Formats: sequence, C-alpha cells, structure tokens
Amino acid sequence: MTTIQAILVDDEELARTLLREYLAEYPDVEIAAECANGFDAVRNIIELKPDLVFLDIQMPKLSGFEVLELIPHDLAVVFVTAYDQYALQAFNVHAVDYLLKPFTKERFAETMRLVRQRLQGRDSKVLDQLVHSVRQREKPLQRVLIRNGSQVHVIPVDQIEYVEAQDDYVAFVTKGKKHLKQQRLSEVEEQLDNARFVRIHRSYILNLDYLARIELYAKDSRMAILKDGTQLQVSRSGYEKLKARL
Amino acid sequence: MHPILADTQKLLVYLVAWLLIALLLSALIVVPGEQAWPLGFAFSLPISFVYAFICLSGWYLCRAFPLQKTDTMRLLTVFLLSAAISSSIWVLLSSIWSWVLIQSGVFNVPSSRPIVETRLLFGIGMLLYLLAVAIDYLIVAFEESRDAERRSFQMKVLAQDAELRALRAQIDPHFLFNSLNSISALTMQNPKAARDMTIKLADFFRTSLKLGAQEFITLEEELTLIRMFLDIEKVRFGARLKFEEHISDTALQTRIPPLLLQPLVENAIRHGVAHLLEGGTIKLSTDANGRLLNVVVENPVDPDTPLSRGTGVGLENVRKRLHTLYGTDGVLSANSDGTRFKVSVTFPVRK
Repeated sequence: MTTIQAILVDDEELARTLLREYLAEYPDVEIAAECANGFDAVRNIIELKPDLVFLDIQMPKLSGFEVLELIPHDLAVVFVTAYDQYALQAFNVHAVDYLLKPFTKERFAETMRLVRQRLQGRDSKVLDQLVHSVRQREKPLQRVLIRNGSQVHVIPVDQIEYVEAQDDYVAFVTKGKKHLKQQRLSEVEEQLDNARFVRIHRSYILNLDYLARIELYAKDSRMAILKDGTQLQVSRSGYEKLKARL
Repeated sequence: MHPILADTQKLLVYLVAWLLIALLLSALIVVPGEQAWPLGFAFSLPISFVYAFICLSGWYLCRAFPLQKTDTMRLLTVFLLSAAISSSIWVLLSSIWSWVLIQSGVFNVPSSRPIVETRLLFGIGMLLYLLAVAIDYLIVAFEESRDAERRSFQMKVLAQDAELRALRAQIDPHFLFNSLNSISALTMQNPKAARDMTIKLADFFRTSLKLGAQEFITLEEELTLIRMFLDIEKVRFGARLKFEEHISDTALQTRIPPLLLQPLVENAIRHGVAHLLEGGTIKLSTDANGRLLNVVVENPVDPDTPLSRGTGVGLENVRKRLHTLYGTDGVLSANSDGTRFKVSVTFPVRK
C-alpha cells in the first residue's frame, strides 16, 4: 500500500489537533510535517514533497493563497478555513476541496474521497488554474513573493523599480538587485496597479515613482532615465501610455 | 434673508395685514372730519407699505439678540432705540410724502398743517415696529422648535444605525467559527476544556447582547467584555496572545457607548498579533483628563504584512459612531511605524 504524505498548515494548535485526530482513521495517510506559518509551510512542502496539503488561509507571514503561489503544483490542496464561503466558491473548481471550520467527520471523509480521486490522476494544470484565479482576484498586487530554493523573499511593490522580461522568467529589480521569478511579463502587468506601473516596452514594466525623465534617443525611439541613472528603452506605444499617465 | 421675504405666500399674508393697517391709518385721518377719504388713502397706502419693509429689518436684530440669552435691559435698549430710529425715518418719509401731496394741488387741503400730527405718527411707528419684532420672535421660536425636532429625529435614526452596525460588528463570523472549531477539537482531547470554552463563548455573547442594548455603559463593563473576548481568543492563540492594561481608577466609572473599544482589540488581534510568529502584547491604556477620555490600543504588527487587508473597515465603523455621538468632539486617530500599530480614541467624559 502506498502511503499518502500529508502536511498540515494552520497557525492554531487546536485546529491541527483536530485534523490529526480525523486523519488517525486513515492509516495510509502519514503526517510528514505540521506548520504554523506560511514560511514554514513553503519550506516543508519544497523539502518533503508531500502528496497532500491541508492549508489554512489566514496565517502569519504568508497567506494560504500566497503559499500556493510558491510551491510546485503537482499536489492536492485542501483549504481548511473559517473564511466565508462566498470568497472561496471562486476557487471551488480548482482546489480539491475546502473545509469550513468547524466540520464533521463525515464531511472530512468526503474530502478524503476527493483527495484520492485527485491523486490518481495527478495533474498540475488544476493547481495552475487555481493560482491563476487567485492572482486575478488579489489585484492590485501589494507584494511580490519569490522563492529561492526553500527560502522565500517578500518584495513590497513600491520597492520595485522596474520589471524586465528574461526568457521564461521575469526579473523584479529593486535597488539594482534582480529577483527572478518564473512568470510571464503580461501576467505581472495585469497584477500590478496600472496607475503606477506602465508597460513601456515589450520587455519592461516601469514604476513611475522611479522615473526621472524621458529622452529622445533617435527618431521615434526614446529612453526612460531612472533616478539612479538606469536607461530603459521605450517603445512608441509605451511612450503613448507614458504621455497619458504623466 | 427674512423668512417672509423668502416665501411669496407669507409675503402676501404680511402685505394684507399692512393693508388693514393702512385702512386704520386712513380712518384716523378722515374720521375727525377735516380730510376727505381719497386723500386719506393716497397718504396712508404708500407710507404703510414702505413701513412694512422697514419693519422687516427687526428680524436681523432678533437673530442677533436671542430672547433667552440677552438680559431684559439690553433688549429694551436695543429695540426701543431701533424702533425710534425706524419710526423717525418713517415720519420723515411721511412728511415728505405729505408735502408732495399738498403741493401737487390734486387734493383740496389747507397747506398750513401736515396731514397727520408728527408726534402721533411717531408713536404709531414705534408701536408697529415693536409689534413686528414680537412677531419675528415668534417666528424664530417656531423655527427653532422645528429644527430641534428634525435634529432629534436625525439623531434617533443615526443611533439606530450605529446600534445595528455594532450588533453586526460584535458577532464576527470568523471569531465564532474559529472558536467553534477549537471546541470541536477539544471535545475528544480535553472534554472539560471544551465545556469551559463553550461556557466562555456563551457568556461573551450574552454579555455583549446585554451591553449592546444599552445606550451607555461604564468603561469597567466594556473592559470586562474585552477580557472575556481575550480569554476565548487565548484558547486559540495560546501563548502568542498577551494583554496588558493600564487603566486609571478614575476612568473606570466613565460612561461610554457599548462595544466601542472591543472592535479595536479585535482588530489588534486579527491584523496584528495573528500575523506574528511569536505573537505579541496588546496594550490598552486610558487617560482621563477632566473633560476628555482618551483610550489607546497598541499592538505589534508584522512589517512584511501589508496593512490594508480590511483594517480600515473596523476603524471606520468606530469613527462613524464617535462622530454620531459626539460630533467633532469624538476623534479617532490611527498610526503605524511599521512595527507597531496604535489607535487612539478621544471623546467627552460622561459620569
């Protein structure tokens, strides 16, 4: 019998106790770790590669949604929360299930049935979609989360000077340092507050707070000069957008 | 502007009243037998209508010297003086008009004497002016009582609104569901603790309903409720949640609106302590300096967690209630230095 490796994530000891008690009736489920905050959750999920995660939403450091963004998507996620039903319904189709606190053993058994179903046909697309719908909903973005191994960096958006596309990655630039994340630039553009962040070029999104001036470089070609002297190319349509904002 | 001038219908009624005065004045001239009716009307009608408008000026003095707030000597001086001035102007205008009528030669009158005795006209002018002032005061009183009625109605509506909001705020679904989940977890592991928690929860809701139904409660009662609330939250958060209070004994009996401070403590947990790995201490302190009570709720916050997630809503409710109850005397201010969040409310003391 193959065991299911599970991780419990909840900042409340009692809430984890309850999950442990309910899971005791499933001998093929093994609790690999218990975490009380988002950072711990990300680290443990990366290092232990569980099959199943029970995830609270409101937690210290990182919310359940943010944890989801930072982990691989080939596992089954069950939200366990007192969060209101309506907010969660949007994600209903993508998460394996969501348990509203408090819940019965019978309701939990239903969840476990769905978990087994999901684990048989493991498919990361489901969680990709979930992350996408969370990103759509949590706009505008207030901080960018970047994972480096099992380390998590949190970058507040007002520290981002510009974002640059680099092959399959985007680089968030803060104080001359580049933080790489696997994401499409168009998706970043959608998430950021478009009153402050402008797509000035196929490869760049600029934070207007860091713009010093715009210079004509050649005919129909302009450069955005940032406060620290960095020069970024501005396309013609990018220049139109900048003119409209300034 | 004078309310009579602002309303055509009132102005019409007013002028009809003055038409009657003009008729009386004409009778005064004609009845002694020296003058004919046409002259009586020609003289009285214009001067009556002119005086009708002069008398309206008394309104502004009525506004400037409210009946209750001005002493009698002062009132007498002001109005006798203004009556004398208005009447003098009127007598002067009447004399000119009288002279014009006589000189025109249309009416057959002996030119040696004015149409009406000057002293008599002055006396009538004084009386009419004072009568107009009396009516003005009646209008002021009427408007004030209508205003007061409207204000008290508005206050009632706002108070009801605040009560509803308070009731909604007091039963926070997250708090309730998380507590019930804790009870659910405790039932197997520690049935006695589960029962204790159930009773704590029931006590808290019963007390908050009882206090919420009152208009004012003492600060002491609100603090008891807050302690009950924290007791329940401590079951969930364990050692992460700590609480300190610095309350002056004199402040304890101060009367405050119910459930004004509890949402601030709830905010401090939900947006502060709950986001910290090690938790933190919520500090509640009060300072009563004679006329005003100042309450400060302070809590640590996680510098990496953005503040915005719904913090504003709870505070905005408290701010609205303060404003409804105390107007500009009720102040809520909030500030954060990135690691600590501080909310301060100040409002007038009621013993």
